[in-house]
Amino acid sequence: MAAVAPLLATQALSKYFGGLAAVRDVSLEVGQGEIRAIIGPNGAGKTTLVGMICGRHAPSAGTIRYEGRDVTRLRPWERLRLGIAYTFQVTSIFKGLTCYENVALPAQRALMRGLARRLAPGEAEVAARVRAALESVGLAELAGRRADELAYGHQRLLEIAMALATGPRLLILDEPTQGLAEGEIATLCELVRRIARQATVLLIEHNMQVVLALAGRVTVMEAGEILTEGTPAEIERHPEVQRAYLGR
Amino acid sequence: MSAFVLALTALGLSLVFGVMRIVNVAHGEFYMLGAVLAWACAHAVGTPVAGFVAAMLLAPLAVGGLALAADRWVLRRLDYHPESTIVATIGMLYVLQQAVLMLYGPDARPVPPPVYFKVEFPWFGYSGYKLVVAAVSAALLAATWVLIARTRLGLYMRAAQQDLEIAQAYGVPARRVYGFVFAAGAMLAAAAGVLIVPIEQAHYLMGLDPLLLSFIVVIIGGLGSLRGTLVAAFAVGLSDGIVSVFFSPTLAKIVATLLVAAVLVVRPGGLFGEERA
Amino acid sequence: MSTGRKVLALHLAVLAALALLQFALPPYHHTNVARIMVLAGYAIGYNVLLGYTGLMSLGHAMFFAAGMYGAGLPVYYFGVGAPAAFGLGVASGTALALLFGLMALRTSGPSFLIVSMMFGQALFLVTLYFNDVTLGDQGFILSGKLAPLELAGARLAFEAPAVKYNLALAIFAGCLLAALALRVSALGRVLIGIRENEERTRLLGYDSFRYKLLALAVSGTLAAAAGAGYALLFSYVGSTFASILFSIYPLLWTLLGGIGTVLGPLLGTALMFYLVDTVSGITSSYLLFVGAALIALVLWFPLGVLGTLRGRWLPWLP
Repeated sequence: MAAVAPLLATQALSKYFGGLAAVRDVSLEVGQGEIRAIIGPNGAGKTTLVGMICGRHAPSAGTIRYEGRDVTRLRPWERLRLGIAYTFQVTSIFKGLTCYENVALPAQRALMRGLARRLAPGEAEVAARVRAALESVGLAELAGRRADELAYGHQRLLEIAMALATGPRLLILDEPTQGLAEGEIATLCELVRRIARQATVLLIEHNMQVVLALAGRVTVMEAGEILTEGTPAEIERHPEVQRAYLGR
Repeated sequence: MSAFVLALTALGLSLVFGVMRIVNVAHGEFYMLGAVLAWACAHAVGTPVAGFVAAMLLAPLAVGGLALAADRWVLRRLDYHPESTIVATIGMLYVLQQAVLMLYGPDARPVPPPVYFKVEFPWFGYSGYKLVVAAVSAALLAATWVLIARTRLGLYMRAAQQDLEIAQAYGVPARRVYGFVFAAGAMLAAAAGVLIVPIEQAHYLMGLDPLLLSFIVVIIGGLGSLRGTLVAAFAVGLSDGIVSVFFSPTLAKIVATLLVAAVLVVRPGGLFGEERA
Repeated sequence: MSTGRKVLALHLAVLAALALLQFALPPYHHTNVARIMVLAGYAIGYNVLLGYTGLMSLGHAMFFAAGMYGAGLPVYYFGVGAPAAFGLGVASGTALALLFGLMALRTSGPSFLIVSMMFGQALFLVTLYFNDVTLGDQGFILSGKLAPLELAGARLAFEAPAVKYNLALAIFAGCLLAALALRVSALGRVLIGIRENEERTRLLGYDSFRYKLLALAVSGTLAAAAGAGYALLFSYVGSTFASILFSIYPLLWTLLGGIGTVLGPLLGTALMFYLVDTVSGITSSYLLFVGAALIALVLWFPLGVLGTLRGRWLPWLP
């Protein structure tokens, strides 16, 4: 098999909160263009792990390599500029602002290079990017509405639009289907498939059907460590996984 | 300002912030009210001792009651939203200060100490009253510790500090706890005022300096850490006293502020604080 | 008319109205409005930090005072001309804001508030401590020491009411337009993002510390411009302008006018100026009124006049 460097590689990554090991010695590789699902029971360390990848938490030990470079010490905004985007498990948007403004903030980032452009990056260009992002998640008509007036499902889509507006190469979705109705979940799966044509997706999920439908590979975590990895079908049959997670 | 009295005052401030997450800018005015009420007691009652005892009992209760009312009618209505409560407490500062000005007047008035004896050390004489201050302060600090660490109310307070929603889910009466904590903070400040007034005089503007000193203490000790507050209070109180003796009090305060700046540069969360840089 | 044009037109109209107002005002109100305009510049500066960025400071008088003393001292002691003095005043404010920001912005909201109050008070004490130089509480007067302004061949004496008014208007216009430009710019968007949800903003690619520092620098600069202007136009420099009360005034003015709106500070300053004027005619305890006003505002009218207007009828108002 050709030795193509993985997009993302963590090496013995650990995070301790006081005496508690939230993540212990996790070495994970995600290849370009993959849709990788991370599953595991509550408290397995999934959110903490991706939190270290996107820069929310500093690791206690270990390294993270992205596109071949060591990003372990980089701050969250520096990682965003390299193309790592994250959506929160509990929706984190700008509730008091319109959908347009919500997406405009990330959209303008890439345009703000150089002093003059920082002040006036060209509102027309920003507007175009915002429109594109909102259209891709299907919220284009709601651009003028305040974010807190949106239904929960739409708020989650808005957050994804915000991440898309940054032009990510690695998109981390933390439980994106949580709280969504059936139809909304299907829409989301479609969206993720479309996104995956241009970006690598790392997906934390509890919904096994979504995992089976979307993921190319699955990483299973338990108690801060990687239990096993494989294709969704393999994972579904894996006895340890069934015990730990599916409760059989 | 006596380190013990500063410890009491700062503890009141720190308690309110620790549990309720609000900064009470009017905290110094509760201290001032304690002092003014102590003067009133001294005037109403015959002997200085009786006046002191009356003040020690009545002033904290009165000021606590006032604080309870303020919590109920203003702070609770603001849902303890951090910025709104700060603005409201600033408003309270001016209302209380000016009310005292109108009723008590602009003069600084002395209050006789309840006991008057000097303890003679070989190298200096020490006012006996200051020992009384230290003893009473220590007793109050100890009582507060017992309240927090050993009673159910203290448990409620600590639970509310950790996580209000979960505490409420377990049946902690959050609103009443908040009201009590705000009142307790005010009572500590008032007690401090009663204790200090025989040494300094009662004046309607006397609340500002203790407020700023308390701020210095809680910043250095770390907002939210009671232990840090106590350690810092003694450190600041003692050094402020020393610097004030050799230099002017004004300079002492400027130096204290620079000290805080130095602490912040190194440890933004204070010495015991919880913040990340 | 597009929103952008509407907004610009509104703000220019306000400036034009203020310019015309000077011909309609009796002398007493003439000086008052000049004062209000300069103080509104101070409030606008404060609003950049609180209204746009969500950072509450209780020590803003230190920037006003930096401008005031930064301009006043060179004139008083060295006879420096007005433009240079103004520049020095503004520069002092910017420098102080950057220095303060580098230290204090590492702390969280409540700590930042407390630290700002302490630094404000420390500067106040410094003005008192160096009494020999600053003449402390009493302050000093610049008239007689300030040479008239040479502008396009004309000699404009600072004592003339028309000069005072129009220079005050110029300072106010500078502050207002700077604040408006910031508000509608990409930078303004980032500041609002920080105000609404700082962590999200960081994860969307922005170093929030840098932007907060920028906001503080702009805020301090505008406040210092107001302070320098006040010293030069009204000829008085004194410690009261460094006191905590003077730090609380812009909060009160901004709250009344509408936090986060561009024109709010002007409205709030004007209203409060006249309200306090009226109340102090009745009683000397007008601070009681100030305190009660703060409580009433935050309980029942937290959006202020323009904030409420914007919410109900004028969503395009910045």
